[in-house]
Amino acid sequence: MAAPMELSCWGGGWGLPSLHPESLTVMAYARFSGAPLTVNSINNSWRTLKGDLPVLVSEDIVISQPAKILNFLRKQKYNADYDLSAKQGADTLAYIALLEEKLLPALLHTFWIEAENYCSVTKPWFASRFAFPLSLYLPGKMSREALNRILLTKGGPPLYSLTEVEAQIYRDAKECLNLLSKRLGTSQFFFGDTPTTLDAFVFGFLAPIYKVCFPRVHLQEHLKQLPNLCRFCDDILTRYFRLTVSGYSPAGQDTADANLQKLTQLVNKESNLIEKMDDNLRKSPQHPPRKLTMLKLAAGGEESSPMSRLSP
Amino acid sequence: AALCFQAFLQMCNLPVRVICRANAEYMSPSGKLPFIHVGNQVVSELGPIVQFVKAKGHSLSDGLDEVQKAEMKAYMELVNNMLLTAELYLQWCDDVTVEEITHPRYGSPYPWPLNRILSYQKQWEVRRKMKAIGWAGKTLEQVLEDVDQCCHALSQRLGTQPYFFNKHPTELDALVFGHLFTILTTQLITDELSEKVKNYSNLTAFCRRIEQQYFEGHEKDSSTIAARSSKRPLLR
Repeated sequence: MAAPMELSCWGGGWGLPSLHPESLTVMAYARFSGAPLTVNSINNSWRTLKGDLPVLVSEDIVISQPAKILNFLRKQKYNADYDLSAKQGADTLAYIALLEEKLLPALLHTFWIEAENYCSVTKPWFASRFAFPLSLYLPGKMSREALNRILLTKGGPPLYSLTEVEAQIYRDAKECLNLLSKRLGTSQFFFGDTPTTLDAFVFGFLAPIYKVCFPRVHLQEHLKQLPNLCRFCDDILTRYFRLTVSGYSPAGQDTADANLQKLTQLVNKESNLIEKMDDNLRKSPQHPPRKLTMLKLAAGGEESSPMSRLSP
Repeated sequence: AALCFQAFLQMCNLPVRVICRANAEYMSPSGKLPFIHVGNQVVSELGPIVQFVKAKGHSLSDGLDEVQKAEMKAYMELVNNMLLTAELYLQWCDDVTVEEITHPRYGSPYPWPLNRILSYQKQWEVRRKMKAIGWAGKTLEQVLEDVDQCCHALSQRLGTQPYFFNKHPTELDALVFGHLFTILTTQLITDELSEKVKNYSNLTAFCRRIEQQYFEGHEKDSSTIAARSSKRPLLR
């Protein structure tokens, strides 16, 4: 019926098929509407320099933004919104706007700007997707773009410093999560019993916050206090992302293992460097013994905590 | 956008006087227009103003339940996201409009060369913002299509009711009125934007109704409406 369609997007981890909210939205929508997509995790492609993922390729047509991809799928008769009334369609647009304005800045901040999260999780993960030298350049570029976006849209006066902007965006995000929880209530999906575009978008934005293990997690903790949203994410993951014939789950597991290995290697390198520094300091006659013990403790602490963070 | 506030305050039955000043941006505590000056307090931007008014005991959305409040907030974001950004795009990123209308209007209170410098600066700022949110790559047709989609959604939500949440106006009604009225009455190079809105008869009827109910009584007070109407003839 339709030409074969291929979706290129960021890969997954921590039990998710993708870490990128927009890629996740498109994948979820495809599952909901039954569209046969082959999913291709990006590995070492120059296309990512433009930051255009996810990208759908069908015959000669190349489409890049989630809204346009969803439109294309609908035209190909893969429509998850078939049963919605016009008013519900309007509500969908409104809630998507709410997500983009209120939740997306905090999501970007948690992934790309919060220093501990960025250095220990996001950067190694994305850097491990590319060969040198892209691995050095690309994560930094994505982080700068995220910061730019947040400052330009949210950072006008009277919020002059980054900490004030951060406080504001997290407040907005928590309010948004509360509103979504109230809207979802006790129903299974946002519009009854079948999932629609809105469910795909909400899942795409919430799942990374819910599942990825970051050191700084106050947004995740807030989300965990809203049990209906957590149940919503878990439901979609079990129903639509584990039971596929293409064996998606083992592939997901493989990438998770590969990530684990790469992260372990990076951490080992770091701890080797720390040991070398330690040795140098021991040999140098100027430092008093007290400082050496503190350094040793610090080195020990740093070694153990990244290891414990790696356990899924 | 100032019209949203006027509409909101009229809906709360609070008397308001509008003053146009060239240095208004600097008087405002947040740098954004408009702002209200009440006694010895100055409050700017819709969110804080709504809260300020609520604290004084006037609120339009008290009768809504939690789900409706969530919907109202979502629709307000939609309007901000789509209509406001589209208006900014049209004013600052469409070259023809920029040259003929925006630059002269924005720079009019200042002498040359300040008027050119300030408007180029503002233009550069707006273009940067558009690039950050991904609108820089959009063509005029795509922007108009987005506006159409937004109006379609608003029209569907309004249906045949007098206001968005049935019988009583809320902040959402004020916001939508402000934007739509501005679009319908501001003269630009082409009428495409206002044509898009005119396609939805319930939206134009909505604007007319609010205008008649809340603004016509104040026409005699008209220094404000006259100042505004040099480029914006009232809806008839």
